[in-house]
Amino acid sequence: MATSNKPVDVAVIGSGPAGMAAAVVAGESGASVLLIDASGRAGGQFYRRPTNPLVPVAGRSLHKWALFDDLEVRAENLSRHGMLTTMRSTMVWSAEGTGPFQIQTRTNSRPPERLETVVATTLVIATGAFDRHLPFPGWELPGVMSCGAVQALVKGSGVLPGQRILVAGTGPILLAVAATVLEAGGSVAAVVEANSPERLLVRAHRLTGALDKSPDLARYIALLARHRVPYLRRHRVIAAQGKGQLDFVEVAKVDRDWHQTSEDSRVITCDVLAIGFGFTASTELLVQLNAEMCVSGDGGLAVNVDSHQGTSVVGVFACGETTGVGGADLALAEGMIAGASAAQKLGLASRLGRRELEVAKRRVRRLRNVADAFSSTFATHNGWTDQVGDNTTICRCEEVRAGTIRNAVDHLGAVDVRSVKLTTRAGMGWCQGRVCSYAINLMCSRKAVPTPEGQRDALLAAERRPMTAPVTLGTLAQHFAPGVEPPDC
Amino acid sequence: MAKETTISLTLDGIPLTAYPGQTLAAVLMSNGIRSWRTTRFEYQPRGVLCGIGVCFDCLITLNGMPNVRACTTEASNGDELNSQLGTGHGHFE
Amino acid sequence: MSSPLPSTADVVVVGAGIVGACCAHFLADEGLDVLVLDRGAVSGGTTGAGEGNILVSDKDPGPELELALVSSNLWTELGDFIGEAAELELKGGLIVATSESSNAALVRRARRQGLAGVDVVELTPNEAREHEPLLAAGLAGACMYPQDMQVQPMLAASHLLAPRTRIGRVTVITQCEVKSVQLTQSGAIKAVVTSQGEVATPLLVNAAGAWAGEVAKLAGVSLPILPRRGFILVTEPLPHVIHHKVYTADYIDNVASDSAGLETSTVIEGTQGGPILIGSSRERVGFDRTPDWPVLAGLAALAIAVFPFLASVQLLRAYAGFRPYCPDHLPVIGPDPQISGLFHACGHEGSGVSLAPVTGVLLAEAIMDRPTRVSLAPFLPGRFEK
Repeated sequence: MATSNKPVDVAVIGSGPAGMAAAVVAGESGASVLLIDASGRAGGQFYRRPTNPLVPVAGRSLHKWALFDDLEVRAENLSRHGMLTTMRSTMVWSAEGTGPFQIQTRTNSRPPERLETVVATTLVIATGAFDRHLPFPGWELPGVMSCGAVQALVKGSGVLPGQRILVAGTGPILLAVAATVLEAGGSVAAVVEANSPERLLVRAHRLTGALDKSPDLARYIALLARHRVPYLRRHRVIAAQGKGQLDFVEVAKVDRDWHQTSEDSRVITCDVLAIGFGFTASTELLVQLNAEMCVSGDGGLAVNVDSHQGTSVVGVFACGETTGVGGADLALAEGMIAGASAAQKLGLASRLGRRELEVAKRRVRRLRNVADAFSSTFATHNGWTDQVGDNTTICRCEEVRAGTIRNAVDHLGAVDVRSVKLTTRAGMGWCQGRVCSYAINLMCSRKAVPTPEGQRDALLAAERRPMTAPVTLGTLAQHFAPGVEPPDC
Repeated sequence: MAKETTISLTLDGIPLTAYPGQTLAAVLMSNGIRSWRTTRFEYQPRGVLCGIGVCFDCLITLNGMPNVRACTTEASNGDELNSQLGTGHGHFE
Repeated sequence: MSSPLPSTADVVVVGAGIVGACCAHFLADEGLDVLVLDRGAVSGGTTGAGEGNILVSDKDPGPELELALVSSNLWTELGDFIGEAAELELKGGLIVATSESSNAALVRRARRQGLAGVDVVELTPNEAREHEPLLAAGLAGACMYPQDMQVQPMLAASHLLAPRTRIGRVTVITQCEVKSVQLTQSGAIKAVVTSQGEVATPLLVNAAGAWAGEVAKLAGVSLPILPRRGFILVTEPLPHVIHHKVYTADYIDNVASDSAGLETSTVIEGTQGGPILIGSSRERVGFDRTPDWPVLAGLAALAIAVFPFLASVQLLRAYAGFRPYCPDHLPVIGPDPQISGLFHACGHEGSGVSLAPVTGVLLAEAIMDRPTRVSLAPFLPGRFEK
């Protein structure tokens, strides 16, 4: 079994803003750090850049690139001194133990994958988040993709996915994606926001002072205005239409609860529909480790952390979206604290002084308040099911339609994502429920609203995945049980 | 965007141009191809959904290996891509 | 299934898994109004982790095989109205032997089973490969059991519990936990107190799977039921290239073992949806769900030895289930010796799905005070009082 010789002090999983900050602070405090990322380059989603340095970066003018660049330089320095090792294009598919911890990794570049087991004294989980989905008729048409997909294609590969991109859903991500497309020379047909966020923009400025989100948002709005991109607030996508691929989208005005206000709808021609309905944090490794979880302000599962970013499992720290979706600035601050805490746990003097730590913690508290305010402004409302007919696909992998799921809830005794899965196959496919479980959970909650603990337990059961990525059977066998002979049978 | 060198791949034998460091999904989309796979029950066409490797909608056959995520796999010169039907394991049937 | 909790019932069944569902179904056929309670969802416990095996092949001649033969026929009858929805399939089981000595043991056993009423056909390696073309080369022999069946256990439980025209009524209340059991002065069942309220009833059926021991304790009695963990590996969706349940001869021996340690052998089958299931290790380690990767890798290696093509197949998921395990490897079916009105229907270990219908029928017969079609003597809860 391929394994490292001795435990590394800190294994940081994820090298977006949270993970990078944690790795650098821990390393500069004297810990030996292993930084693992599924992608070929650090940055996560927010700071995504191409692995090929010759491809120019779109959106270079995003503020705080300097901060991340600085972290990369410091990480590079730590590497040169042997304090930091990086495993790129490597996914962690299992994490277990109570300290030290066993991490199972697999390469993520191209098959066949290779496995490696790593042992770490402490862990920092900074695995980020991925786009959440609310199904609607036609969302399976090629050309309908998440906001994150557009960002990845443009920022990571320098490719615009279409000629005329419609951005729809809810949340600040819509403006960010539209800005990314415009800055890359693309065309945005419209931004269609289901909620009504104007009051929030005023509040956000007051909440954060002169820093953080406001300049970004102001810049996005100015960019949209300059390109005369229509911004439709309190509008939703009713259906995506096309033959074999996306040709146009039907949108309609909605009320506060996302119900259509009239029969009228309008048609917007586009070849790409970028949809965004918030994010699901990648908390599976924390669930595997049996960390205590909670329900975040946006209705998703998050890990409970104290002010030191410590989870309920001693030696496991979490930062960034895993503690509750809240954006890159919050991730950076939490990452710093997590790195310092991991170092302290190892008995090392933290590189961050007491005052720096206090500043970071205050920032975290403030930015969490901002995140909560954003969550309530950009919440999902009940009207989302109005367009979901019995024929609308909910589980894309297994092609399970809404009618089948409704039948399971109404007549087959299914009460949550897990029992829906057992009676309909929804969630049993390649993505193991990552795309459909948010919607299915909402569909179950409509019948009987669960208690907060019930809600947390239902989300937890849906996020329980013993493997967070597929592994080839032969590779698994060879790595863990190389000498196994079939018994005399 | 100015790019330096190009690399060549094929999809079902048809040539595609690409730049080093691009993902297979990006290569396909920049060559105007938005779906390269059908689902196994209703033969629906699928391409990119999440773009970051979690949804497994973008599966493609790469150099004979089925069910490779196009959005997380970087293109290499000479790669032979094939669109997939159903499970992607056509040779069993 | 979210109606208000009734205040009375003719009989309360604790556990909405496959055994509880069969008990409810047959009791309702007798004209009783049945209330089924589960602290989770239907099939949320043991049944939810089940593979869906309806086997006669894995049982040596004896009381359990007798039950299994009756139960298989009952499954076929149930199949008339829930078969399609529950994906009931007469798949047949194929036990393969990779050495001459194990093949000899396999054949001897098959002949004993044949005498006890089991359909079994001895196969040469070539004949085995006609049934399963992708089997590894180098087998010593195999036996085919045409009576083995497959069902989707969660769908079966759900459909058995769904409303239908019956003499008696079945009501299912999920997310309702039994907190305590009330007895009369003379020690008979009087009522159950649940998280949603109280239900007066003279009859209580303990069908709580791996937690049946806990439920028994609520009534003041003890049952020696322990969880025996098993894992199932689930692959990516594949074309239908494995046609039967295929397993190796030492699967039989493992079931009979008392060792607390790990025993691994392999069971492999395809599913209607496409993924291939690979099981099944048996350990006695409490309710810990954490995967043991060396154990699971061992399962994978064994499966690859039987079907070499599996080496390049991707594993998407592994999950644990807890088989309710009795020290003598027999289920518990029948009246509690101490508490009048309390009946147990549990402890089926890995044969819960197989034996659920016969358990339901026998329980109904016992409750209605009729002679049971199979003697309950080996399965009575009183056998543990020694």
